[in-house]
Amino acid sequence: MRPRLTARPHEGKRSMLWLQVLVNGLAVGGLYACIAVGFSIVWGVLNIINILHGSLIVLGGYLAFFAHQYWGISPFLFAPFAGAILFVLGVGLQALVINHVMTRPFLITLLLTFGLNLFLDNSMLAMFSADYRKVLLDPPLGVFELGSIVVPADRIYATLIGLTLVGLLSLLLRFTQLGRAIIAVRMDRDAAALLGINVRWTYALAFGLGVFMAGSAGALLSAIFPISPVASAGYLSKAFVICVLGGLGSIPGAVIGGFALGVIESFGALFLGPEHALTLAFILLVVLLAVRPSGLLGKRGFA
Amino acid sequence: MTSGFRAALAAVLLATTGTLPALAQDTLVIGAPLPVTGALSPEGTKLKQGYELWQEQVNAAGGVKVGDKKLKVDLRYYDYQSQTPKAIQLAEKLITDDKVDFLFSPFGSGATKATSAVAEKHGVPMIASSASSVEVFDQGYKNLFGVYTDNSTFSEPIAELVKTKLPNAKRVAILARNDLYPLSLANEFEKSAKKRGLDVVFFEKYAIGTLDHASALTQLRAANPDWVVVTGYINDLITIRKQAADLKVGGDVFTLINGPAYQEWISAVGPLAENVTTASWFHPVVKYESEDVFGSSGKFVELFKEKYGSAPDFTQASGAAVGVVLQQAIERAGSTDHDKVRAELQKGGFKTFFGPISFAESGIANSYVPPVMQIQDGKVDVVLPADIATSEFRTGLKN
Repeated sequence: MRPRLTARPHEGKRSMLWLQVLVNGLAVGGLYACIAVGFSIVWGVLNIINILHGSLIVLGGYLAFFAHQYWGISPFLFAPFAGAILFVLGVGLQALVINHVMTRPFLITLLLTFGLNLFLDNSMLAMFSADYRKVLLDPPLGVFELGSIVVPADRIYATLIGLTLVGLLSLLLRFTQLGRAIIAVRMDRDAAALLGINVRWTYALAFGLGVFMAGSAGALLSAIFPISPVASAGYLSKAFVICVLGGLGSIPGAVIGGFALGVIESFGALFLGPEHALTLAFILLVVLLAVRPSGLLGKRGFA
Repeated sequence: MTSGFRAALAAVLLATTGTLPALAQDTLVIGAPLPVTGALSPEGTKLKQGYELWQEQVNAAGGVKVGDKKLKVDLRYYDYQSQTPKAIQLAEKLITDDKVDFLFSPFGSGATKATSAVAEKHGVPMIASSASSVEVFDQGYKNLFGVYTDNSTFSEPIAELVKTKLPNAKRVAILARNDLYPLSLANEFEKSAKKRGLDVVFFEKYAIGTLDHASALTQLRAANPDWVVVTGYINDLITIRKQAADLKVGGDVFTLINGPAYQEWISAVGPLAENVTTASWFHPVVKYESEDVFGSSGKFVELFKEKYGSAPDFTQASGAAVGVVLQQAIERAGSTDHDKVRAELQKGGFKTFFGPISFAESGIANSYVPPVMQIQDGKVDVVLPADIATSEFRTGLKN
């Protein structure tokens, strides 16, 4: 066995290390939250596990990459626009393709989005190649320092913008006619239709909103992680874990789940070694599924 | 009706069986399982470029000379989707269904080790483009030959460089991808460092597909290293270089393998690439005269640029290298017979654009010194060995 840290830091240094690990976890947790919110909406409202979500995040990343390369637009400013472009794509995709299988069993929609995911991933491979690219900000944003604790500025900006978009989305769901229609359709599709809500259109818009979040998240991540079509599966699996942790169909749940996963992974890496960072998260996931299957903030009946 | 159908069927059968031997005589069929999709697709694409440049050159020259005949090269690719179990199945299929004469290995040590068992079972010589870990070659197999030298040929010269250029450096931190090759390489670095009296103050592994390395890097920083070694593939090393800068990880020497030798890595990390050391088995500055279809390293680089518009990196070069080694072995054997070709491969002494290639008894190349490189002013410079060095080794980092 190798020593994990031969020079054991003394107590003061140790608590600083813990604080840094906590800060790291929160900094990545914000990004996780952005990844998961769109996935959660689609799952909660349309009862579709959108396997395409990871690829759409990557597509958002590419949009931001090219916007930065050709027009010099910062990905942080571009995020809502990447989201808007993908919103149009998402609405079209739902209305023209996914809507045909909305009333079919769960497995059919899963299979359809899986197929679309393969199609989009391989289209991106053909168009953009598998080369890893990254938005390089010039000058770099640098880091925020508080004593010996450092936080990368890009993560803070990405988290703030991401959470602002998530907040606006919650307001939209709560206070607008469209939002109420979405919630009504989620609760009872037939009753909503009887009340004069256009169910087809509502589904398309709800899917579009989920995709909007995927696109924005992708743009925000493009300055932090390398972009490549092969990265999509990683994002999808994170989104999946976060939604189960936080609770399905709940936006605050996805946000809390994101932060929780970030912090758990961060401490998991500290205590069990980086190769087991995810182990702890998955153990908690299994425990949670056993004792509280609706997730931390989930409401019963939306799974 | 039925008799007519039977006659037609018989005719078709005759025709197919009649053409098979003819086909087998004018082509040399080589099977190559490739990761065209999935996580390793960048590497898969690169290998394929190397194979195809070699194939194009050989076929333009008439083919591989076997006795008084020339056989055109026919490469059979299958996509194993970056999934090792699938690579094993495809190797089996290539041998039994496609009846290939020889095999090129899949990408990387892990998949190569797994498929080498299939090649061994059927007695088909397999040339490995991209395996360098001793664990791949310690199975006593007779049909596996790798053009890369083993991992210690990276760790030894770099450790020596650190020791001589930075006599005060004491503390080494190593972070390794939990995967066959990167881990094996990390273990070699640990050995080379300890051998020179350096303290390995941090040694951790990260899981495949990790996006966020902040926690590992925070601990690494706390260990206060002079020399940082990180192993992994290009995506890991882009992420880690950036996150190390975000967390202000210090150190005088930063060694990242494999990634910085690729142009994409340098473009993706920008100024953070500066003074990062790395090593690879081939670099366009090497100058070997060769007896292969290319004639010299320089000519290979030139032809590669002509076809693909960029200088070849070591993976692209290794794709062509397996081709020229196999070709020379077949031409010397004067036959495509497995036993004869295997005997020529074991004899070695191939002069290739990639370097002089001979194999140790285990099948791993042991006949050339891979260059140690450093990114200086945004481009790759060779700092070792001295006879091909393009610049002096520098210490310090830009964060």
